[in-house]
Parts: sequence; structure tokens; C-alpha cells
Amino acid sequence: MTRPLVEARDLAKDYRMGEETVHALRGVSCTVESGEFVAIMGASGSGKSTFMNMVGCLDVPSGGALLVDGVETGAMDSDALAELRNRTIGFVFQQFNLLARTSALDNVAVPLIYAGVRPGERQARARAKLEAMGLGDRLDHSPAKLSGGQQQRVAIARALVTEPKILLADEPTGALDSATSDEIMRIFQQRNDEGITIVLVTHEADIARYARRRILFRDGRIIDDELVSDRLIAV
Amino acid sequence: MKRSLFGRLDAGAINVGIALTALRTNLMRSILTTLGVMIGVFAVTLAVAVGSGAQVSVMDSINALGSNMAIVFPQPDAEGGRSSFDRGRLTLRDARAIERSIPGVSAIAPQLRASVQMVAGGRRASTTAIGATSGFGAVAGVGAESGRFISEADVRSGARVAVLGPTVARKLFGTFDPVGEAFRIDRVPFTVIGVLETKGSSFGNDNDDTIVVPITAARARFSNSLPGPDDLHVLYVGFDDGTDLEESKREMTRLMRERYSVERRDVQPFTIRTTAEFIEESSQVTAIFQSVLVAIASISLLVGGIGIMNIMLVSVTERTREIGLRMALGAKRRDIRNQFLVEAAILCVIGGAIGIVLAFAAAAAFSVYADFPAQVGAGVATGAIVFSAVIGILFGGYPALRASRLSPIEALRSE
Repeated sequence: MTRPLVEARDLAKDYRMGEETVHALRGVSCTVESGEFVAIMGASGSGKSTFMNMVGCLDVPSGGALLVDGVETGAMDSDALAELRNRTIGFVFQQFNLLARTSALDNVAVPLIYAGVRPGERQARARAKLEAMGLGDRLDHSPAKLSGGQQQRVAIARALVTEPKILLADEPTGALDSATSDEIMRIFQQRNDEGITIVLVTHEADIARYARRRILFRDGRIIDDELVSDRLIAV
Repeated sequence: MKRSLFGRLDAGAINVGIALTALRTNLMRSILTTLGVMIGVFAVTLAVAVGSGAQVSVMDSINALGSNMAIVFPQPDAEGGRSSFDRGRLTLRDARAIERSIPGVSAIAPQLRASVQMVAGGRRASTTAIGATSGFGAVAGVGAESGRFISEADVRSGARVAVLGPTVARKLFGTFDPVGEAFRIDRVPFTVIGVLETKGSSFGNDNDDTIVVPITAARARFSNSLPGPDDLHVLYVGFDDGTDLEESKREMTRLMRERYSVERRDVQPFTIRTTAEFIEESSQVTAIFQSVLVAIASISLLVGGIGIMNIMLVSVTERTREIGLRMALGAKRRDIRNQFLVEAAILCVIGGAIGIVLAFAAAAAFSVYADFPAQVGAGVATGAIVFSAVIGILFGGYPALRASRLSPIEALRSE
């Protein structure tokens, strides 16, 4: 039996906001197995972003336990978390978050810098990922010269360049029109078919339908966790 | 995971690349920031150079006096006690007693001094005349460049002969060799027998603006305000190499106090100074001079450093989102810290390098126009480079540290 890629046990997260304590997560338990495609849904303030930050190892829990790739993140220091992020997780953001005035190739190579990969290999791997995204002729373009869809494809190439186990996408289509959204979701589905685990945070029900499983957050708890019955397949 | 040397070099090169991109993006801002460091490093480097130039120059002029020497003045020593003398005393007999009974004395040079007016042909000059014995040259470390120095025979006979300092020679005789020429001092005819070697100038004081005449001629011909026919204005005492000047000074003091029957608590009518004391005092003075210069210059470097810190804080704030992104992609705190340290260091090193070059140019110009050189060398340059690197780390350190301590979530969320 393989161990789950993400395992949350009674996960809690509290923030102090001045005098008040905000309970962003109030005991969340769930597992994500390798190869899953999970959509995390919920209104703003439901705890889905907090949950995603935990899974992305950008933050550590204040209660319960979270295991990412079999490692408990709660006790890790910032360097260990950075290494875990670099090795295990690929991030895709709503606003793409590409470095301005930096070529697509160099943008994709950034995670490899922090992985300690040598320059020649960095370039080769970044180029291969961009070519796989159909951007082989845009290697030297800076983000300003690329369309939104192209920019998000560069960002996906960057997320995949370290060969992570989990692709963590936070509203990846939030800044894109529906045709381009479909194109991005097609890439996600293809990568998922190839075996990569995807955790997608979205508030759009239509986008969630591209996933295989849907988890719904409300008030810091999971209130629904089901397989997607009416799944969309991007063309 | 430990990083290899190659990995660290590679990371350094990447940080330089990132920094250059960032600095180019805000080119004007970068240039202005660099300018602050440049001016600071320029000022400090120049201050150090001028200060050490002054120090060397002072040492040179003390060495020019003769390195192992005591000077005795007929002035009551001001230190403590009650004075039983209206004025000081120092006579030729004292000088002879010192020569006779103090060990290590190589030669003595008793002197009279007088301000004199000279006339030669149509030209006039005024200078300080030194009435000296033949031993003066050896004790004071001067000799004749052309012609000869005054001899024992000149002193015995009170000959009206003079050895001119180069400045006086030029004033009176222009470029001609004046040896053998005649001139008058207060209507008394003198003959030039030689020209002194040049001793340059120290602190605006032209050491070449003097003449040396036999002490006997000076006593007979120049008006002086001395109480007796045997009194002196000053006495140089030369010592053999390796003599303990401090001990010699104590012995001379004991001898002189005995000669003038000075009671234990009374002020003595003479003052003895040694070259060792001059060197010590002068190096204290030049050290203070240099410290003040460097302190003032350092203020501008401090201001430059604050400029660096200011701009780095702005840079960190502007790029908070980039910092968050890099952290999400696997950058450790030290990666972020180094990235901003490198950026600050580049600003400082560029500014520092230009500042050093300008300071060297200014020092060269200074040496041409001032009467002592500004000393610039490898030491000053190395110091300035290290200094600007330290400024970079010091003032870039806080913003870099602040950047590295950002929470990745907060940073990613910022606009």
C-alpha cells in the first residue's frame, strides 16, 4: 500500500488579528493519494486558502498534523520547508507571478537555481519544459510580450521543471477568459493523466468540474468531499 | 544539503545577474545612490592620504633637524614651581660644560639668531641669520651645496662671511652662483662663501630661507637683546647614535640646575627638548589632525551608507511579491538575504571604486599644489575597498535580513 501524498489529521490553524484570534482551520482531516486531481472549493474565508498554504508548505499548522510526502511539516524550520517546496511542490498562481524583464527560459529555470542544478542543465531542462508547453518559439520573450494564456503556460512549465509530486494551483484560470481557461485545464488534465497529483483551489464550480474529486470548505471545516460525477474533459 | 564551492559561485553569479537587472531597472536611483558612496569613499580616502602625507612630511622635517639631538633654550621651563628668574639664561660656558661632562655628546652648536636686512646690488632680502660655529653643520645636518661651510678659523677671527640658504641666494643673486659675491647686512659688508643644501619646507615654513654666519661675527655686528657677551639664543647638542636621549636630557638638566643653583622646587631658567620628544609630540599632533580629517570625511560616508540602506529598504518593499515567489519556488532565507546583500555590495563597490580613482587623482593634484605630498598607496586603496564593502554589508545587511525574514504567504499576497 502506498502512503498518501498529503495527509491532514485534525489540522488547525489560528491567526492572531490584533486582539482577536481567527480560527482559519478548525480540525480538518483528509488525505490526497498520489495521482489524484482534487478541486478545493469554498467561499472566501472558508479556510481553503489556508489549507492550500499548509499543503504548499508555505505555512505550518498550529494544531493537528500535516504530512506532505510522508514528512510532518509542523516541526520543520524555514530552510527545510523551502527544500520541501522546491522538491515536492510546483506552484501555479492566479496572477502567474512571473519575473518581469526576465525571459521565459530564465523564469522557468528559477526553481532549479534553488535546487542547486548547474547552469547548463538548468537551461536544458527549462527549455524542454517550455517546448512541452508549446512555447519553444517564445524562450527569449519576457512576460510583457506574452498573452495571459502563454504566461500561465510559462508558469506551469516553471512549476513542473523540478519534477514535483504535487502541482498546487491557486485559481489558475482566475485571470483568463474561458477559452484560455479550457486550454489551461487541458494541460492540467494531461499532466494528471501522466501521473502527477494536482490540487486546484477555485471558487468556480465549472473549473472544479475538470477535477476528479471535489472538497468543499466552509468555516474552517470540510463539509463535503466527493468524486466529481459530471466531470468535464478539456479538448 | 550542503552547497559545493561551485554551487556557491554559481549562486553568487546568479545574484549578481539579478542585482544588475534590478539596478538597471531603476538606473537613475542606482546612480544617485552610488554617488553617495562614491563621495564618501572619495572623502575618506583623500583624508587618509592627506593625513599620512602630513605625517611623513613632519617626520621628514624633524629628521632634517638631525635625528639625535637636544635643543636648549634660555627660557624658563613652564612646568610647576615658582620662578626666581625674570628671564632664562644660557651661555657659551654652559654649552662647553655640557660638551665636556655629558656622555655621548658628539658635537655642540651654540647659536645666536637675528632678523637681518640684506642688500646685494639692487636687490634686497630679509631673513633670519644664524650665528653658528663650525660644528653647526654636523649637528643640524646641513652642509654646503656649493662653496664651503664656515670654518673654525672664520669663527675665531669673526670673519664677515656667510653661507646662504637656497631661497636667500635666489632672492639676492637670482640663478647666478653667488659664491665669492659681496653683500651687506645692515651696511656691514659680508662675503658669500657657500650655499646650503636645500632642506625644503615644512608646514609653510621655508627651511631654506636663512643664512649662516660665524657666531663671533653675529655677536659683533648684529643687534641682540641678550644680557651678556657670552649668552646664546639656542644651543643644539648632537649625540652619538644609540645614545639614550631621555637619560641624556636628565643629565643635562641636572648639570644645568647645578650651574644655576636652582632649588628643587624652583623653575629652571632653561628648557631642554629632544628630537625624540619632537617626534612624539608631532606624531600626536598629526595623528589628531588625521583623525579629525577622517572623522569629518567619515560623516559623508555614513550619509552614503544611509542612502544605501534607504534605497535597499525601498527595493525590498517594491519586490516583496518577488521575494514571496522566490521563497515559494524554494529559495531559503539565506538565498534571499544574499540576493539583497549582493545588490547593496554592488552599489558600494562601484561607488567605492570610482571614489578611490577620484581620490587618487585628487591626491596627485594635491601633491602638485600643496607643499607636502598626499600619500596614496596599496594600503589606502585596500583599506578603502574593504571599507566600502563593510559599508555595503553594514547598511545593506538590515534590509537584506528584513527581506529574508518575510513570511512567504504575506509576501506573495502583497501588491
